[in-house]
Amino acid sequence: MEDLMKELAQAAPPAPEVDRDRMERDLVRIIALPRERTARTQFLRRFAPLVAVAAVIALAVVVLPRPTPTVQPGAPAQWWHVLTEQSSLMVVGDPANPYLVQFSSKTDQWLSANRQVTVVQKDGRVEPYSSVDEARWEMAGKPATAPQVGGSRAVRIGPMRPSVQKADVSGFQMSMHSHVRLDSFDSLPTDPAELKKTLENLTGEKTPYRIATLAMGLMASNVRDDQRRAAFELLKMLDGVRFLDRVSLREGSFGVGVAIAAPATFQFSNVETQLVVNPETGLPVVKRDLITTPQHGLPAMWPISEEEYLLLDRTTIDPIVPGDVPVNGEVESPIVER
Amino acid sequence: MEDFSDVYRECYPRVLAYAASHAGARLAEDITSETFTIAWRKLDQMPSNALPWLLGIARNLVKASRRQVWHDEIDDVPITDDFVRVVELRAALAGLSEGDQEVLTLIAWHGLPAAEAAQVLGCTTATFFVRLHRARRRLKAALSTSNFDRARESWKTS
Repeated sequence: MEDLMKELAQAAPPAPEVDRDRMERDLVRIIALPRERTARTQFLRRFAPLVAVAAVIALAVVVLPRPTPTVQPGAPAQWWHVLTEQSSLMVVGDPANPYLVQFSSKTDQWLSANRQVTVVQKDGRVEPYSSVDEARWEMAGKPATAPQVGGSRAVRIGPMRPSVQKADVSGFQMSMHSHVRLDSFDSLPTDPAELKKTLENLTGEKTPYRIATLAMGLMASNVRDDQRRAAFELLKMLDGVRFLDRVSLREGSFGVGVAIAAPATFQFSNVETQLVVNPETGLPVVKRDLITTPQHGLPAMWPISEEEYLLLDRTTIDPIVPGDVPVNGEVESPIVER
Repeated sequence: MEDFSDVYRECYPRVLAYAASHAGARLAEDITSETFTIAWRKLDQMPSNALPWLLGIARNLVKASRRQVWHDEIDDVPITDDFVRVVELRAALAGLSEGDQEVLTLIAWHGLPAAEAAQVLGCTTATFFVRLHRARRRLKAALSTSNFDRARESWKTS
């Protein structure tokens, strides 16, 4: 057997010659690109909400009266709590010397059968993306607003104002990307093909991409594990979907996922949407759009928008919203008229 | 940044060789460049022994490229006494599953110790040894089939 491996080693293709010029050129380009946040910041930003929730739980245990006897152990949870962190890129400035800005914020959402509470633009900011973009923004005089390249509006750079939206609703929203509501998720099929038919009938959507986005949304909803599994299997069987069997995630872990070609945005073409799930829990970890070809100084397979799921949980704790934010006021978008 | 540059210059040839052997020379440089771009972005996660981690990234990119063309490129083989055996080995290898090919080539072509090859594939060292044993057995079986014997004869006479 060892001889066989030695023979195989001798049958190796010759090592390709390294193009030193290209190697050094690439190195210069790569280290000019922005890096992800440091592990410490990541840790704090990632787990701060969990720490806050844990603190509230501890406070609730200490301060609040005991539940009334009518609340049975194992009773259905009242709320489905979804905390996500979004980021996306936009090309702004003078078209002859454009730069990238990054929108980043969190969305905290509580959903029940008859009530929906959402905090948007939490910890929100718009800022130049990389050090190169920051230098270009500074060269442009650090404008407070910058025109979109290829668009008719402008982007306000700086912090975003959070907003709280509360609404009485009837039934469960099928996904955050669909207005279809269901009395209950219980009846959703656990067979992928049946689930696909159900989604098509409920929404009238037929294209693989739209069905894929609905299924992705469903996976982040308050469905049972077998329904979530069916949604993932559905995704894998859609036309044009590529299975990702090992996706590197933060903290060195790995996920599995799917990728599907997505419609172009007004600034980026050749886009694909990926959903990565935790293979142990089946819960979504991140949904992102990536460019598949180099564009605007970004290399291929670079994310241009990401939605990271920080928390997907059933809870009986009522929503906790910022106290100094008007409820149901107008959302002050960072996208403004020129 | 100096550390990254050092790792980049040290590991670039091996990542390039890995990419070339799995995706072909045409795509190898692009995959290598993408590998280090991702590595830079995830620099906080880069372990001190970076090569297996980098090859794991390259492996994902190779899969994404979906072009397993190395086995079609036999014009890199010098015409020597071993030519037939090399072609035979590569053909037998190409007939194995992608998983078997990976296990065998990480050891035989890329010179990784078993523990590091296991890291690239995301499995334990023990699992890797089991897979290696099975892959070797299947390679041996593929080489001993009559098809290869016939093929060998035809190559000798052509």
